[in-house]
Amino acid sequence: MTADESGLGELIVTRIYEAPRELVWACMTTPDHLTHFWGPPGMSTPIDGIVIELREGGRFETVMVNDATGESYPTTGVYVEIDPPNTLVWAEKGFAEGMTSTSTFTDLGNGRTEVVIHQRNVPAAFRSPEAQQGFNASLDRFTAYLATLV
Amino acid sequence: MGADTLSRTFAALADPTRRAILERLVDGDATVNEIAEPFEITLQAVSKHLKVLEAAGLVSKGRDGQHRRCHAEGTSLDPAICWLDENRQQWEDRLDRLGDHLRQIQRSTTHPTRKKDQ
Repeated sequence: MTADESGLGELIVTRIYEAPRELVWACMTTPDHLTHFWGPPGMSTPIDGIVIELREGGRFETVMVNDATGESYPTTGVYVEIDPPNTLVWAEKGFAEGMTSTSTFTDLGNGRTEVVIHQRNVPAAFRSPEAQQGFNASLDRFTAYLATLV
Repeated sequence: MGADTLSRTFAALADPTRRAILERLVDGDATVNEIAEPFEITLQAVSKHLKVLEAAGLVSKGRDGQHRRCHAEGTSLDPAICWLDENRQQWEDRLDRLGDHLRQIQRSTTHPTRKKDQ
């Protein structure tokens, strides 16, 4: 994947599933499904903390709870584009403000579906020309990290 | 994850003047006057920016009275870098778990159908 000038700091994650596209779409847009896979290992995503208002401008919220400590991590977003069962776009709020996450669902035939998660505008502060020059060890590390994203 | 610290770091770095100040300080410690020199803004404005950078832990100030020198904190961006790493890992894990979930629900929905056929 090559990046254009604005492409720095993008995140792309792809998977192919042995499942029909409608079902994969349902998983990404229904609290009943989301609660089963959303949180990372060691975290749960209780169903009563999930808000999915599946319309443009609607809210998309989750609360991940650390199973060991009980600490909770709310994330909030707003749906920007909903085109079932092809495309789902939400804009992140809070500390990742400005970042958009696009999920694309492609029917590969024979009940197989490809999902591509594409996050754009990973916080702008980290895509500045200054950041790319790398002013210190920490920023150098950051620049190296950015290079792995594009 | 420390969402508050991250918010402060991201917010502090969102401003080009603050990034420039940080860049200046990475070259070496400096007083507020020295920092302000290349900028066409008041000392007060520079102080304000420094306060934001300080609150984010990106800059610290020496205790040396009037000639307090500001210092860039090299490791202060680590949490932000960590967050970006975690963000990727989180999506990788999440999509793997979605795969598990899909296998599970497809198994459980074909099961009753088979029963009905018998």
